[in-house]
Amino acid sequence: MTPKSYTDVSDQQVVVFAQEGREDAYRELIKRYERPVFSLIFRMVRDKETAEDLAQETFIKVLNNIDRYRPEFKFSSWLFKIANNITIDHLRRRQIDTISIEGAPDAITAERARATAVTVTSGGESALEELESRELGEAIEKAIARLRPEYRACIILRHVEDYSYDEIAEIVKLPLGTVKTYIHRARQELREYLGDLR
Amino acid sequence: MIEHDFDEEFVPIAAELQRLPYMSPSRDFADRVIANIDRLQPAKAVGPVLASRHLELHQGGQQAVVRRRPVGIVRATGRATVGVALIAAAAFMFFEVDVLTAILAAASTQYAFAIAAVGAQVGAVVLGPETIAYLQAGALQAVLLYLTLAVGLFGGYAAVRTAAQIAKRKAA
Repeated sequence: MTPKSYTDVSDQQVVVFAQEGREDAYRELIKRYERPVFSLIFRMVRDKETAEDLAQETFIKVLNNIDRYRPEFKFSSWLFKIANNITIDHLRRRQIDTISIEGAPDAITAERARATAVTVTSGGESALEELESRELGEAIEKAIARLRPEYRACIILRHVEDYSYDEIAEIVKLPLGTVKTYIHRARQELREYLGDLR
Repeated sequence: MIEHDFDEEFVPIAAELQRLPYMSPSRDFADRVIANIDRLQPAKAVGPVLASRHLELHQGGQQAVVRRRPVGIVRATGRATVGVALIAAAAFMFFEVDVLTAILAAASTQYAFAIAAVGAQVGAVVLGPETIAYLQAGALQAVLLYLTLAVGLFGGYAAVRTAAQIAKRKAA
């Protein structure tokens, strides 16, 4: 079977086509997950170029090893697991912990800061709502940036990607109890950082 | 939607977290990823190999050297056989070597590599791969063990030869 469109095709089925070496299946998987993966990585490293490099590395690793994918797991969990591993390795090498949303930590010029800053967009709101939403969104982004990388990954996977604790434990390769602790602490810290905004 | 497992104070933050937008990588992101997928590039991998062969022929026929390699193996085998035959003949003529010694010498010369390979395999089975790895690391104990094995080998050969001589005398 050769689908004309992958719109109603499950991840598992697309993976089967990818395993046959079909380029359109590879592109479909990238299309489905480039934004979630890039966003997760960006929120962990806080640098646009680095996030793009790490996201690229993630997809290359996953797609070059697509035969190793085990269909009993969600494809997205496997993808996020590799993205998390690559990002944590990078952070350990670079020892980057925090950064502002205005630009990368090593952005020593205004131009570099602009190049590495990320625009948080919103849709369908009035100018005031958009401004408030943008401010709140930026405040949340800044608060996430102040968390430890391990907390960041867990809180994003829980509240942005809607994963269960068990799935997060599988993705970040940590015991379930540790994941629950990380998420609990991350919530506490976020409450503290965002206290005056509520 | 995930179930509520946090207190009321966190509810607005959780709502904001869920509203966080996805960010997009650059437009050529997919192309850059696809360009690095090995599985999709089998034809490209074959290309340079064919080109290099073609180039070699233009650069003075190195390809012909490669084709002559089987002839070289035959020649080396022939030389080894002739060498062993000459040594055996000299041994018979000047040192009065008996037939058993000649056969063992020829066999050990001609099949030295095969004997070594089989010996290594047998050693790996008997001693275990860890011991073999330890011995191959070049420890002093390894030298002693090799010497012991060599003494045992020569001792065995001497015993076989003595038995053969006793049998010959009894027959006489």
